[in-house]
Parts: sequence; C-alpha cells; structure tokens
Amino acid sequence: MNQLFRIVVFVAVLVAGTISLKAADSSVKIQLDTNKSGPRAVESRTEQAIMRDYGTAWTMMARALEFNTIEPLEGSFVGAARTWLNDSVAGQQRAGLTSNYREQNHKLRVLFYAPEGDVIELRDTADFQLQIMDGAKVIYSEHVVRHYTVLMTPGADRWIVRQLQAHPEF
Amino acid sequence: MKLALPIALVGLTVGLIVLALFGVAHSGGTVGIAAGAALPGLTPKAATPEQAISNFLTDVQRRNWDRAYSQLSKADSIDEASFIQDWTGSNGSLRTVSNLESFDVRPTHATDSSAQMRTQLRWSTPVGVLEDVRDFDLTQEAGSWKVIWPKVEVPSAPAQVIPVNYLRWDMVQGGSGDEWGSHTVDAPHVRIVSMNAVAFGDGSLVMGEVVNEDTIPAFVNVNATLVDGAGAAIDEENSFDKIAHVLLPKQVSPYRIDFPNVSLEKVKNIRMDVKAALVPASADPVIAVINQKIESEAQGKTVLHGELLNQSGQAVNIPHVIVGFYNNTGKVVWVADGYVDRSLIPQTPAPFAVEIPGALVGKIQNFHVVVNQYSVSQ
Amino acid sequence: MRRTLLGCAVVAMYLAELCSAQEVHVPALVSAGNETAISTTGSGKATLYLSGPGISSKTEINLGEKFILHSEDVRNAGEYVTIVCTDVCRSAVFHVRPSKPAYLTFLVHPSRVPVGQGDAVSGVALPFDEFHNLVLDRVKVSFQSTAGDLRILSQSVLTQDGVGWFRAASGKSAGKLQIVATVDSLSSVRAVQQVASDPCNLRTKAHRTPKGVDIETEPVRDCSGNLVPDGTIVTFSAAGPGGRNTVDAPIKQGIARAHIQTPGSLVISAASGTVMGNEVRLGEQP
Repeated sequence: MNQLFRIVVFVAVLVAGTISLKAADSSVKIQLDTNKSGPRAVESRTEQAIMRDYGTAWTMMARALEFNTIEPLEGSFVGAARTWLNDSVAGQQRAGLTSNYREQNHKLRVLFYAPEGDVIELRDTADFQLQIMDGAKVIYSEHVVRHYTVLMTPGADRWIVRQLQAHPEF
Repeated sequence: MKLALPIALVGLTVGLIVLALFGVAHSGGTVGIAAGAALPGLTPKAATPEQAISNFLTDVQRRNWDRAYSQLSKADSIDEASFIQDWTGSNGSLRTVSNLESFDVRPTHATDSSAQMRTQLRWSTPVGVLEDVRDFDLTQEAGSWKVIWPKVEVPSAPAQVIPVNYLRWDMVQGGSGDEWGSHTVDAPHVRIVSMNAVAFGDGSLVMGEVVNEDTIPAFVNVNATLVDGAGAAIDEENSFDKIAHVLLPKQVSPYRIDFPNVSLEKVKNIRMDVKAALVPASADPVIAVINQKIESEAQGKTVLHGELLNQSGQAVNIPHVIVGFYNNTGKVVWVADGYVDRSLIPQTPAPFAVEIPGALVGKIQNFHVVVNQYSVSQ
Repeated sequence: MRRTLLGCAVVAMYLAELCSAQEVHVPALVSAGNETAISTTGSGKATLYLSGPGISSKTEINLGEKFILHSEDVRNAGEYVTIVCTDVCRSAVFHVRPSKPAYLTFLVHPSRVPVGQGDAVSGVALPFDEFHNLVLDRVKVSFQSTAGDLRILSQSVLTQDGVGWFRAASGKSAGKLQIVATVDSLSSVRAVQQVASDPCNLRTKAHRTPKGVDIETEPVRDCSGNLVPDGTIVTFSAAGPGGRNTVDAPIKQGIARAHIQTPGSLVISAASGTVMGNEVRLGEQP
C-alpha cells in the first residue's frame, strides 16, 4: 500500500511538471536606464512618462491577446506595432487561440532620443511567462526572455509605441 | 346668516373683476399684470427717492420695461426703444446675455424736489459677476419721485468703406493616412518672459508676461504648479481668462494665475508650463486703447480707465481688457482684467475701467493694456 | 512486488512516450518576406501552431512532411514560436530579421526656423524594409540641405540601431530650406520654412495730420536684412497730456502703421515682442 502510494505521488509530480500552472499575477515591472541617452538627455518627467506609458502599453497588449479584442490597444499603439497586434488578434480569433503574458519584467535602455524629443528608441530586455492556449488546452508555456527594439513617439497626453520589434540578442 | 359669507365672497370677487377691467382701462395699461402694466394701489408709491429708484431698478431687473419707462421724468421725450436697448445691450454684447442680479442704493444728495442716488449694480453674466456704479438723478413730479433719464446718444460712425486687408491665417489639417513625419507643422514657440509670485489675501498669485516668439498665431495657456519643500505638488491652476489666449506673432500678453487657498509660505518651488497650439486667426480687428489714465474715483478706488476704439469695419461683440502693471524695475506687480459689457461699434470709442488694489498703487510705474475680443464673425 | 513492477512500468511508458514525441526543426534566421519551411519528425497527424508578430495560425499537418511558411507569414520581423501538438506539444523558436531598406522615415524639425541660428535644424532618418520593419543593420545615410541654389549642409552617417541623424544651422536668408535624406537609391525630402529673426533696429516715424497722428515704422527687418513676416505685431505707444494711447498694429508689407486721434505733445515709441524701438517726440499741433 505504501509503495503504491509513493508511485502515485511520483507519477503525479511528473505529470504536474508537464502542465504549467496558470499564473494569476499579470503585473508589469519596468526599469529604465537613461544614462546613455543621446543626443538629447531624457528629462525626469519624460522618464516617468515613458515608464508609465510603456507599462500601460504592455498591459493593454496582454489584455488584447488574452481576450482577443483590439480595443485595449487604442491609445497605446500606432503604426506598425498597432498593425502587427491587430493582425495577431485577428489570427487568434480565427484559430481559436489566446495568449497570456504574465509576470512581465522589462529592463529598458535608451538608445536614441531625438534632438527635438519627437521620437525615442529603446532596447527592452523583457522576460515574462508566455502561455498559448487552444481553447482551454495549454499548448505552450514557457518563461521567455526577448529582446525588443522599441520606437515611441509623443501623443497628445502620453507616449505611444510605434514599433515593437523582437530580435536575437546582440 | 348662513348666506352672509358666500355673498360677501361673491361681492368681493365681482368688485376685483370690475377694478381690473375698468381701473386698468383708465390708466391706459394692458389687462392683468403684463409687463409694464401697473395695477393702481398695488405698487408701493414712490414717496421717497430711495423708493423710486428701488421701484425703477426692480422693474428693470424683472424686465418690466413699460413700468420702468413709466417711472421716467418727461417720458414722452424719451424714445422707449433706445431706453430698453440701453439696458439690454445690442450687437451681441455681453449685456445681451446678462441679467441684473441685485443692486444697492445709497443717496448722495437730496432736497425736497431733487435727489441723486448712487447705485451699485451687479450683473450676472456668462463670464461671472460684473459690477457697475451708476448715479441716477431724480425729481419730484406730481407728488411722486421720477427718474431723470439722460438723453441716450446712440453712437454711430458715418457711412464709409473700410478695406480689410490685414493678414489672416488658416489651417489645413493633414490626412489621417499621412506617412509618419511627412506632414508636421510645429506648435508655435511661446515663451514665458517673466514670473512673479506674490501673497494676496489668504492665497497666492503667480503673474507675469508671455510672448509669442513665432511667426504664426498661437492659442496660449499658462499653467503653474506650486510645489512644497518635499517636492510634492500642492496645487495646479491655469491662467483661465486672465490672459489674452490668441497671441499674434510677437504679441505680448500679461497672465495671472490665482491660488486662492494656498499660502505662499508653503510654496518652495513653482513649475511653470506654457501650452501653445496652432489656431486660425486674423490680424483684424485692430483695437486702439486711448486716453489711458490711472485716477482715483469718487468712491475712493483707484482705477485705470480709458477707451477702446475699434478701428475695423465690424462690431466687436465682447471686448475683454487685460492690464499688466509694472514697478520701477519693470517687474509685473499686478494683472487686472475686465469685460466691457458693450460691443465696440466701428470707429466709436467705448469706455473701460479696471480697478487697482490700494496697496499696490504706490508701486506702479507703468502699465500695458491688451485687448482680447470675442466676436461672432471671427 | 507485482504492484511495484506495474507502477514502474506505467511510469516508464509515460516517460518513453515523452521521449519519442515529434520533433520540430525551424530555420535559424529568416529574412522578412522570404519563404521558408518547418520540418517535423515522426508520423501521423498533428496540429501546427504558429505564433509571431502579426500572425497566429493553426493548421493540421502530417508529421514528417515539410510545412511551408509563405512570404506573408514571415513578413514581420521578430520572434516566432512554432508548436506541433499530437498528444504532447513540442515547440521551437526562430527569428525573422528585416530585409533591405525599402523606404525612409525622415523627421525634420522645426517646420519653421529663424535665420542664422546655430544647430537650429535637426533631422532623424529611420530606414524600413518593405514590410515596415526597422532595419537595424548599419546603412549609410546622406543628408543634404539647400536654400535655393546655396548648399547649406552635406553630411553622411552610418545608422546606429536603425537611426541616423544630423543637426545643422539655419541659413541666412528667409525662404524654403530643402533637406534630403538618401540611402542608396531611396530618398526622402522635407522642407523647412526659414523666417526672419526678431526685428532689429525698429525705427518709427510720426507726423500730424488734420485728423490726428499717423505713426509708421520703417521697413522692419531682422539683423540679417530679412523683412519680418506680415502679421507680426508692433505695439505703438503714444503718451501725452490726455493719457497714454496704444495700438497693436500688424505689419503689412514690412511696415506697421497706426493712427491715433489725440491732441497735445506726444512721446511715441514702438515695440515688437521684446524688442524696443526708438522714441519720437511730437510737439503740439500749431
């Protein structure tokens, strides 16, 4: 009896290891390094605004891809980034898929800040828990580290993500 | 006995009906309590000058023009339409959308046959309460006091053609499909030239001047954030209407931002921010400000008064005067503003006055008047 | 003993199943818009999922056969996750990189600039491929600016992280400044309006007429000799015994004019922005 109990526990542990636990925490943490910003120095209020608005953009993106709706993207994304996300949501809707981006950590570094302040380029080393679901079935669940080149431009009352392009680390 | 009360009630009713029908007919008024009609015996008789002016202004307040007109001395020689227009305004002026909210009356001089009453009139308008002081002369006529109404001179300019060839700026909006960076027009460059924070009453004021350094018109707003010693924001306000919002190229405007409940002692830093946006605008109308003088008036207040002269060919509906006052070092020590409740008819001067706080009169060496204007046609 | 053996067998079968599941092979790096293929091992039916920037798809496949990714599937640069599921799911990741530049985004500021100002004009060029991916490889960008026939700037830079930029002074004459950014055969043109700087030597003259006083400026120019644009406000002030009179008069064809009706001797001055002009003293009308 004791041996069978141990086997069952062993098997249960093995099986559990192949199923990702659904993370309940979807918080987004942002760090921004502006030390090498140029040719324009990033003002402290701009720094706060970038962190706030980039965090909001990722939160909205996660929501859009989790619930397959493009409404959360309004106001945070424009241009190529918006088009990409719209297409992703549409593709997910057609295929019956959803994606979850959880426990996000973003380490941002300013690569370029235009002299007139009308565009900022950032490098984002992002790590998060990515889960892709087909209906209720989890088909992919990994802790992912991705490197993004990000372009943001100032809107009426916030910074907006215009380009969000992942690439191998370099 | 049982029938006494019903009979009495019927009789009273009939008597009142007869009074209404024939009593009003005798005085030539309209039936019932219509505008301007007076039922004899139901209005306090103007036995004193105070009562007379009070009756008169109550009728003006209620827009009972016929009744107000009937309280004028030698009303036959006064055009009723002009009299009404003098109270109600014309040409889309601020007066046309104002109501006489209240008034205070004080005698300045009285004999058995003549009197002068000083009245403080408070008008409620879309831009707040406007106060006006007006002196009324009264005279005794046939046992009651009547208001002497001055002959109303309706100003008019001679017929003429005024060419309008001042510059106008219009905006063309870019299309929504424009490529990023292909069609951008920068916002106008506007700069805060000076800033002075002072304690005033229980609060604080921030004032100064702002200039449009650009070659295009700008819609301007100045914001100020008061910050305490710990760097936390205490309050944030903007200039609201104490600034000329539309600045043409190289135009300078004073501004004032009020913080009525924030003591200056709590403030360690002030963050200023000026927002400027592109707007269509016209360099017309040109409004001259003439005969500007600082004087003490009869009530003991010090005012800057002058006249506005509209040098264009179209009426300016609502003029707004903003004045920056400087001390001997050129620092802005006060900014005052006032709306003129008359429209500016072309080529015809209209008076204005702004009050200066008594404590500042001795410090003022110079001033700069800017005229803002809101016109239906612009 | 038998139960123990049975339990181990169950575990071993489970582990064996895991180890013998299908494999997914993806290309290491793909250029955007280039057709490529994913290969799988094993046999039988499976479901292939592709998740990447701008794409999310689900397709039934036969294991062991190549699955073609068409040009439109890999047009966006970024990281793609390929998942192949039977009873278990296996995944692989590949990257799509931008292809060669197909157009330039060129941001130039400001749209209006006073003449003769150092470092007043700046521009940022970003090369994108035909699929709107930012080209991060270093490319050479040339910047040239001309005002009429006069070349103001000619400069070449290598982009860094997909960005090339320049900064230059404005010219000396009012008018249009044309700026061109070029990468190979691609170019993008922008125009900056050069406008006169602040008025210099604001000179005023006045004379009495039967109807009052006519005041006007001499042609208002900046220190480089450019006429100040029409519509620029000049504030005339005339102080006399009756008080002060002021008029904000817009410049027309280089000259600002005003008329004041006031008797008595006058001291007349003018200002535009923060620039003050001369004083003119006018005696009483004889």
